[in-house]
Amino acid sequence: MKRERYTYLSTVTFALKSLLSGLKVTLTEFFTPKVTEQYPENRKTLKISERHRARLTMPHDENGANRCIACGLCQNACPNGSISIVTKSVTDEETGKSKKVLVSYEYDLGCCMFCQLCVNACPKNAIEFCNDFENAVYDRKKLVQKLNR
Amino acid sequence: MELNTLTIIFIGLSLLMVAAALLAVTTRNIMRATTYLLFVLFGTAGLYFILHYTFLGAVQVTVYAGGIIVLFVFAALLIGKGTRDLTHTSILRYTAGFTAAITGLALTVYLIFTHQFPEVQHPVSVVPMKLIGHTMMGVEKYNFVLPFEVVSVLLLACMVGALLIARKR
Amino acid sequence: MYDFSIITTAIDQFLRSLMPSALATFLECVLIAVCVLVAYVLLAIVMIFMERKVCAAFQCRLGPMRVGFWGLLQVFADVFKMIIKEIIDFKRTDNLLYNLAPFLVVLSSVLTFSCLPFANGIEVLDFNVGLFFIMATSSFGVLGIMLAGWSSNNKFSMIGAMRSGAQMVSYELSIGLSMLTLVALSGTLQLSEIVARQADMWFIFKGHLPALTAFIIYLIAGNAETNRGPFDLPEAESELTAGYHTEYSGMGFGFFYVAEFMNLFIVSGIAATIFLGGWMPLHVPGLDAFNATMDYIPGPVWFFGKTFFVIWLLMWIKWTFPRLRIDQVITLEWKYLMPIGLVNLLIMTLCVVMGWTF
Repeated sequence: MKRERYTYLSTVTFALKSLLSGLKVTLTEFFTPKVTEQYPENRKTLKISERHRARLTMPHDENGANRCIACGLCQNACPNGSISIVTKSVTDEETGKSKKVLVSYEYDLGCCMFCQLCVNACPKNAIEFCNDFENAVYDRKKLVQKLNR
Repeated sequence: MELNTLTIIFIGLSLLMVAAALLAVTTRNIMRATTYLLFVLFGTAGLYFILHYTFLGAVQVTVYAGGIIVLFVFAALLIGKGTRDLTHTSILRYTAGFTAAITGLALTVYLIFTHQFPEVQHPVSVVPMKLIGHTMMGVEKYNFVLPFEVVSVLLLACMVGALLIARKR
Repeated sequence: MYDFSIITTAIDQFLRSLMPSALATFLECVLIAVCVLVAYVLLAIVMIFMERKVCAAFQCRLGPMRVGFWGLLQVFADVFKMIIKEIIDFKRTDNLLYNLAPFLVVLSSVLTFSCLPFANGIEVLDFNVGLFFIMATSSFGVLGIMLAGWSSNNKFSMIGAMRSGAQMVSYELSIGLSMLTLVALSGTLQLSEIVARQADMWFIFKGHLPALTAFIIYLIAGNAETNRGPFDLPEAESELTAGYHTEYSGMGFGFFYVAEFMNLFIVSGIAATIFLGGWMPLHVPGLDAFNATMDYIPGPVWFFGKTFFVIWLLMWIKWTFPRLRIDQVITLEWKYLMPIGLVNLLIMTLCVVMGWTF
């Protein structure tokens, strides 16, 4: 127990050493570039992480078609009931079988909690979350969006 | 009496001290009394400063305002509620206090009227710190090393006593 | 070197030519008081702004940026907010002491502030016991804090005040000892004389090791004396809401806040004066051309440069270390700083007597 024998002086030197190491950390922090994002001014350079979930979207290809098969799995998966799907049955003329087709895909941003269960449930990857986070509107009705075109 | 600037300051300080002293003894609240006492002591320091006794004035502020009064406040806070009921005091205490006050007043008045005060020329020169230091620690005649050391022994005794009281046993 | 006493003497002559001597003296006193108070408030505003910016930089942030360019008007907005806030009276508090306490704190702080030598010829209070007078006036600030804590009639305030009292009374000793170490080196207590004797070299270089030790002790004790940094347990937010000024609103709180920042400035100013030469430019013996160039930089720039450097050091300490417990604070003072300070004083005296200083 060396430190026991020289308690007083070793305590002082140990304290000084540890305090100096702490001071070194903050000093390097003082001179590193600051991490603050000044949000409205920095819109052009703002980088949002790819994984950020801001709003549900339904991507459409260049023909205006989406991949949704109106199976309703996302509607069932949603714990808040923020997705409601309106379907209709269409009879295929070639095969004669009836098939569900999407009429409107309504998504209520106001009660979405961004859990991503709907995206995980979708068998066709028809829906996904986008980074577009500036979603504030003046009327609650505007939060209910129709995702399909 | 000539009414120069120093006299005005002196009168102002005296009025402050007398008023604060009266308030200090008439108030019922011990914390207020301590605070009024602080102003009396400030006034005394001010008197020393207009006499150019800067060292004494600074000592007055340090020891009394910064030391004694803080001690008083600590003591007053530690002994209890800070206020004490002084309405029911025995007649014996009244007479004792009255006698002490009258005796003190008589003594002071007697001394003021019989003592020959030396004339002080203004402005008096400021006593240099070196002289104070040498007088305080000097061993020649009219120097103060013995009282100084006696006081330090007294303080040491106080510290030992305080440690003895505070020691856990 | 610039001598500012030319300006002050000229003003004095001008006033005396206009009116009788006593009236001129009185007018000068009022003028100086106004100047000191304005400087006090303006420096407090600068300090608060600096605190926010430096704190932000140590935490890798930017600090206030919105009000005015680079956030420059933020503190003015804060001051304005504080002035228009209502001052609340409480039913079961001692109203006289409650309202007096902030003034005592500010009085102590302003008196100490006016002792600082800002430049050659700009010394408001300068007499032969200057440094001792600074200790004297700064010693009764604690009284205001204790009265504030007591008169608030609040347990948190009381605990904060008692902590503050114990802490400030203890750390005054270390401050006094480290000042005394430098007084032993300088041989005078008068602040202007202390600065003048650093003309060839600053005391921290002149007194080498003991002066450096005294400087470090002074920084630690000064931080504790101002109730800041790792020693801010009298106003520990997490446990005492705001300590002794919990019940104060508006300018009552404002006075405590300003006095705290100005005490930091005063502690740094004294450190700059007695260790780093005050307004004295950097002089290296032997390099006459260099010394002459340094003399072109005016005294106030040197003084404020050094003072703000020391303030920055203290802020660096504050924003690095976590808060101490009360027993740790007292242990640090009585078991480490004070014995080391005493030994240091002895070493310094030995150095001065043997002529081992530069």
